[in-house]
Amino acid sequence: MTVLEMRDVSKVYGEGPAEVDALRDVSLTVDSGELVAVMGPSGSGKSTLLTIAGSLEQPTRGDVLVGGSPLSGMSRDDRARLRRRSIGYVFQDFNLLVGLTAAENVSLPLELDGIHAGEARAAATAALDELGLGERASRYPDELSGGERQRVAIARAVVGDRHLLLADEPSGALDSANGEAVMRLIRAACRRGVAGVVVTHDAQLASWADRVVFLRDGRIVDQTAPLPGPESLLASSQNP
Amino acid sequence: MSAAVQERAAGPAAPKAGRAPARRAMARWACRLFRREWRRQAFILVLLTLAIAATTVGLGVASNASNLKADPTFGTANSIITLPGSDQGLAGDIAAIRHRFGTVEVVAHQPVPIPGSVSTVDLRDESPRGPFGHVTLRLDSGRYPTGPGEVAVTSTVAKDFGLHVGGVWRAGGRTLRIVGLVENPLDLLDQFGLVAPGQLNPPANVSILLDTDQQSLDSFRLPSGSDLTTGRRSAAPRVQVETFVLVLCTLGLLFVGLLAVAGFTVMAQRRLRALGMLGALGATDRHIRMVMLASGAAVGATAAVVGTIVGLVAWVAFAPTLRTIAEHRVDVFALPWWAIAAAMLLTFVTAVVAAWWPARASARVSIVAALSGRPPRPQPAHRFAALGGVLLVGGVFLLALADQRRPVFIISGTAAAAFGLLFLSPLAIRALAAAGGRSRISVRLALRDLARYQARAGAALGAVTLAVAVAATIAVSASAAQTPSVAGNLPADQLLVHLSSAVNDLQGVPALSASQRQSATRGVEQLASAIHARWVLPLDVAYAPGSGTLSPQPGGAGQEGAHPGAAGGAGGAGGGYPTPALAKVTRIGPGEEVSFVANLYVATPAVLHHFGIPVTQVAGTTDIISSRRDLSGLQVFYPGDQGGPNRASSGIAKPTIQEVAQLPNYTSDPGTLLTSKALRTLGLQPIQAAWLIETGEPLTPTQIQTARNAAAAAGLYVETRNMQASLGALRTWSTAAGILLALGVLGLTVGLLRSETANDLRILAATGAGSGTRRALTGATAGALALLGALLGTAGAYAALLAWHHSDLSPLGHVPLVNLLLIVAGLPLLAAGAGWLLAGREPAMIARRPLD
Repeated sequence: MTVLEMRDVSKVYGEGPAEVDALRDVSLTVDSGELVAVMGPSGSGKSTLLTIAGSLEQPTRGDVLVGGSPLSGMSRDDRARLRRRSIGYVFQDFNLLVGLTAAENVSLPLELDGIHAGEARAAATAALDELGLGERASRYPDELSGGERQRVAIARAVVGDRHLLLADEPSGALDSANGEAVMRLIRAACRRGVAGVVVTHDAQLASWADRVVFLRDGRIVDQTAPLPGPESLLASSQNP
Repeated sequence: MSAAVQERAAGPAAPKAGRAPARRAMARWACRLFRREWRRQAFILVLLTLAIAATTVGLGVASNASNLKADPTFGTANSIITLPGSDQGLAGDIAAIRHRFGTVEVVAHQPVPIPGSVSTVDLRDESPRGPFGHVTLRLDSGRYPTGPGEVAVTSTVAKDFGLHVGGVWRAGGRTLRIVGLVENPLDLLDQFGLVAPGQLNPPANVSILLDTDQQSLDSFRLPSGSDLTTGRRSAAPRVQVETFVLVLCTLGLLFVGLLAVAGFTVMAQRRLRALGMLGALGATDRHIRMVMLASGAAVGATAAVVGTIVGLVAWVAFAPTLRTIAEHRVDVFALPWWAIAAAMLLTFVTAVVAAWWPARASARVSIVAALSGRPPRPQPAHRFAALGGVLLVGGVFLLALADQRRPVFIISGTAAAAFGLLFLSPLAIRALAAAGGRSRISVRLALRDLARYQARAGAALGAVTLAVAVAATIAVSASAAQTPSVAGNLPADQLLVHLSSAVNDLQGVPALSASQRQSATRGVEQLASAIHARWVLPLDVAYAPGSGTLSPQPGGAGQEGAHPGAAGGAGGAGGGYPTPALAKVTRIGPGEEVSFVANLYVATPAVLHHFGIPVTQVAGTTDIISSRRDLSGLQVFYPGDQGGPNRASSGIAKPTIQEVAQLPNYTSDPGTLLTSKALRTLGLQPIQAAWLIETGEPLTPTQIQTARNAAAAAGLYVETRNMQASLGALRTWSTAAGILLALGVLGLTVGLLRSETANDLRILAATGAGSGTRRALTGATAGALALLGALLGTAGAYAALLAWHHSDLSPLGHVPLVNLLLIVAGLPLLAAGAGWLLAGREPAMIARRPLD
């Protein structure tokens, strides 16, 4: 099932002489359980692609559909609800709220969505347990290491029934071991049916993805073919 | 790092529709931040706390500076009828008044001269349980008089006459036993002796207190046919004080609101990335606004409670000082509690509303911009300026329409003008930034930062402007109020020694022999020595040696003490030689009504020299020199040989008056002088009539008593300051407080602004800028804000005052140059200097960026 679909999406910043084409006619689909890595040089439009996919920004042209629902017709509140229920974000610099504990940070999207605090806290604790942070649930972000903070951010991004996980350089502020671990967690989330898009500079981390999309000057200039699924094995055995 | 990957637990149930969990989550985060970041929010909290504390003290002062519920003379009555004691049908008239108006209270009076003084003590026949006057009596010790020959006196009278409870007082031919000490709690300067009701027979006059309307009073006629002298208690003071309280509240809360807006804008900017992240998580605009509003509520509630407590404690500490200044009892608990409760509520509401504006702005910032920490693009300044101009003009117009008495217009006009100034702030900041485009890098950067962070800089500038405007208004008003009628008869460190006790009764100057004059001069020298005077200035009046003497006026007789004239002078037994006075003469039918405005002393060379006036400064055509500006249309009235104020006047109908600023402003001081040209015109010559003595320090009660004793021994009469302590000192302190407040706001807001540009400092440090650049940056920021605030505030104050005094602009002619220079030039220089001095130390945030 296609979770994210971008059709001929363009994004222009500025006006007149200061006009910049951040994205040009980008089309991309990400299916449930698929992990797509987006690579490209600085200024190629990677982060813009991610913010538009996550409904944080509106495209200048083109359509974006999340779970089959077009974003263009949604109000600000509808898009906010979509982010609470369907889209999880992981940022390079963690972006945890310093005034809330790890568990409260994770439960925040659920509480914002109207779920009772106790119920949301239980779900958050479970999500943290899955990531091996159950014992750190009551700690504040500034009492956690960088790797732990990013794991909390991932827990917050996947808690609830999220279908789409968007990660912008999730390992950018981490050492290589922690970076690998983060990618492993994202990969695990995708195995559970979440569609993932990861922006990264690191080719080694991109190798965790099912597909790698290359952007340059706002255009998709190349992408690797999706890995052949089990059906292809059957097809090849029938046609030696 | 190791990560254990497990199967995900089943997600929570589908979201419910309720908004309560989201609200709770936002409030929890806001409160957690308030607790966690209290140092950062301490700025707003302290400012709000100080503002509400100052408002509480201000309310206490405003409501206790005047008597709202009763009047020192009227008590709780609203009208008074005065009848002369000589009225043959007095009893019948009082009975008729009682019959016509119902409940009345009769108070009889008899003046008792104070030896050696031009003042008298009122011997008063009044019931302590009178229906209207009971509030004007308070027993301090002993008991109230109940029978014949008993009296209770005020402590001042006891001191003046050397009396004590149980002692005897011989007053006006009576022998009275002192049974108690009393006071008028509404006027502690009221000197009187209280006798039991019915014991003052016959009185000099009788005042009857009653409650009635003006129409009934006007239509009433006495059965004896005597003229009725009536008076009504003015409702104006009460309205004015309440209006003042409300204006104070409005300005205070506006001030608080502006500071809070600046503080919350900074807070919103600090939290911008976190708020952007909230948006990325799916928080709606409402959720984001709720975080800031919850912060505002937490800060507002804390400040309201703490500030009110601090204010009440400060009020209790200040109340005794206010009692000294206002000269009446101050009830510490007589506070406008409704206003204090309203101020608390409004502080809370103000904090929430102040948080709303930056909350709204934060919610409107795109999530991507918020995540990158980019501040919202400033609104075009010209839109604010247009709105500010309209509001300022509208506010000034409303103040003019208020006519100094309509509270709704005064409050709305003040608020509109203040908001107008606020909305002009962004344009002023932009203009200054543009003007400083070619200045050195640190100044340029400081000015650009002000324009870049327009929201908080504008709010901070608004607060500074408001503080300066209040200070400038007080300074200009204080200067405008320096008129003789307000200043009083004499300053506290001066006294006048007169040859006659009838200072204002136009009884002329006593005709004394040469030996009597020498004796009087010796008496003055001894008096001056006894009170350690700094200088003595003889004062002459004008007279004609060949003219007849005036008939004695009522009240002039009966003075105790050895009158120099009584010893055998030419006019000692009757009135003295007529002297000219400045008067307003109105023709009524065939006669004329003369209202005396000022005594006229002669501009002798000694007087001119004393006040530093070169003889050449006085034009040859000038008849009168004066410090006053309100003398146009008056004439020099001289009774001449025919004498008597009811006769046709002679004198100078249209005198040439020259204003001389060096002369004093007090009514009994030699502030208005007759020149030699006028003496020639009138055919008069100078004669010594009084001595002005200054001690350098305010006269103590002991010095006054010493002077009176010395004067009584020499047959002279002393005049000292006869009204409450001047409020000038209070105004001066208010001006200083306004400037200090502006400086305090500047210091705090500049600290906030510069902390927000820590990134600039980091970059500057990385590029090699040292402490000099840092100092210049901070100094320029503080100086620029102070300069704009001083200019806008002073201009706004003058605009409001012009509207306030639009019917008579003459009071504004007295420009307090020193105060205004201090504000317009001193404040920016002080702010820039303080900023430069305090910004030397490298802040820790340059080295490391705090976790958002």
